[in-house]
Amino acid sequence: MNLLRIYVKSILRGRKVLIYTFLLCFGLIIYVPFIMIMLRSVGKNWFGRLWLPPELTLDWYRWAVEVTKIFRITANTLIIAVIAVAISTLIGIPTGWAFGRRKIPGKELLMAMILLPRMIPPIAYALGIAQVFYRLHLVNTHFGVALAHVAICAPYAILVLSATIEGLDERVLEASAVCGANRFKTFFHVILPLILPGILTSIIFTFTASYNEFTLTLMTYGKDTVTLPVRTYLAIGEGYWEVTSAMSIILVIPSIFVLFMIQRQVTPEKLVGGFKGV
Amino acid sequence: MRRGSNLRSTGVTLSLLLPGLVCFFGLFFYPMMVTVVRSLRPEGSDTGWTLVNYISFLSTTKARSVIVLTFMLSLSATLLSILFSVALALILRKKLGGHRFFRLTMLIPRVVPGLIGALGLLLLFGSRGWFNLLVMGVFPFVEKPIQINYTVPGLILFYTWLYFPFTALTTLSALESLDPGIEEAADVAGANKWHVLRYVILPLIMPGILAGSVLTFMAAFGAFSIPLIAGGNYRPLSVEIYKQIDLTPARWSAASARAMIMAMLQVIFLTIYMRILRRRSR
Repeated sequence: MNLLRIYVKSILRGRKVLIYTFLLCFGLIIYVPFIMIMLRSVGKNWFGRLWLPPELTLDWYRWAVEVTKIFRITANTLIIAVIAVAISTLIGIPTGWAFGRRKIPGKELLMAMILLPRMIPPIAYALGIAQVFYRLHLVNTHFGVALAHVAICAPYAILVLSATIEGLDERVLEASAVCGANRFKTFFHVILPLILPGILTSIIFTFTASYNEFTLTLMTYGKDTVTLPVRTYLAIGEGYWEVTSAMSIILVIPSIFVLFMIQRQVTPEKLVGGFKGV
Repeated sequence: MRRGSNLRSTGVTLSLLLPGLVCFFGLFFYPMMVTVVRSLRPEGSDTGWTLVNYISFLSTTKARSVIVLTFMLSLSATLLSILFSVALALILRKKLGGHRFFRLTMLIPRVVPGLIGALGLLLLFGSRGWFNLLVMGVFPFVEKPIQINYTVPGLILFYTWLYFPFTALTTLSALESLDPGIEEAADVAGANKWHVLRYVILPLIMPGILAGSVLTFMAAFGAFSIPLIAGGNYRPLSVEIYKQIDLTPARWSAASARAMIMAMLQVIFLTIYMRILRRRSR
């Protein structure tokens, strides 16, 4: 405790050196694992106490493409993510509307209920989903895996969209009605453009969630619906660390790219938080 | 007439809510119930009721060590995350050069798949990883690589790496919404920096820390992919559940019973955790 006190004290005294050392360590511990993966994926004959691989090669990427059929797996992952995003958005818009603009008795409680799948460990209901899907023959279909992802993605979509829809200005809707637009027209020409940023945010978040989802996929995948995270896991089990690293780089680059791309448009903080004070 | 329109409005609300409710009941509630029923059936049979799946797991000494391990891992990771997040948030608050970059850096562990993060950490802290090369280079008395992977401290470190962003983000946003006048007032009143931090800032941002650390705790408690590949011989509950259905023949009832125990423990721990922290922050 005393040590901590001295530590905090010195930081508070504005010692820039200490602060930057802290930030440097922080940056290092976050990014160096990815550098390690990157080096492992292009290194050859990297044994013993060497800081860098002695020879460079792209063999592991070739292996990843040829042996693990990474293009098909990427296609699987994307198809599943697109289906999951579409279903979640279609669920999110009406339900978000109900939460944002209609009077519902016990709204808070209902919202907490909808968010429950994010509180309970996924493995607990993934077991049930697997059993139900086996019975319905949904296992090993793209639609089935995507539907399992919806269990995680839909709460995200509902949360983001209800916040967006709640922020709609009532007067705009009234103006539209006064100008003689019917409900249909109002929805497509007034409401939809207004909530489009919210829908985009929701799409990005649900897509990321589905793209990275592992637990639910592991319980419902089959040989035709292997996704990138599952394939990475299987490759780690097989012990091919170099090939696994190559696959991981292919898997991780879109994620980081998306993060840096969207940081100006949407506050990526929401990706992590999302709860209003639990 | 009035009653009619009321009814109609309720109908509209319900039909708007319907997709969300169908999703909740179809993809969460019903599977949960299936798990409950399965956990009460004898292994491999669809009829009969029994508690044997719970008893046979809970009566072993292994059950206790698994539960203690799960609890200890997630609690230590949460505490470590809080310590780290408060320091990080206090620094990032000052908006030094490059703070935007570090804000994004903070999100990286949550944006990339947990498996990849764990893989990178395993490579970094492995016996041939950069961490051990650095330690052996700097401290001449360290001759053998330090074993971090597949140990409990290593797992705690991995958990913290993966789940601290929840705590860090809420702490940072609580800190930034703080009225600067309060600190100035404490400063004027003659409190030194440590006292300002201890008695003014920390109590005020406690709700933020609490909200974030609950998320960290829940995520760490339910962590699955990390202990699966980086746990070695240490198996928390989630991996223990998965191992049951990874067997041939799969033991669905045993797995379901463990899953129910896990879900119940999660709810109990959360209630206790919230209560303790609420009392603290008061």
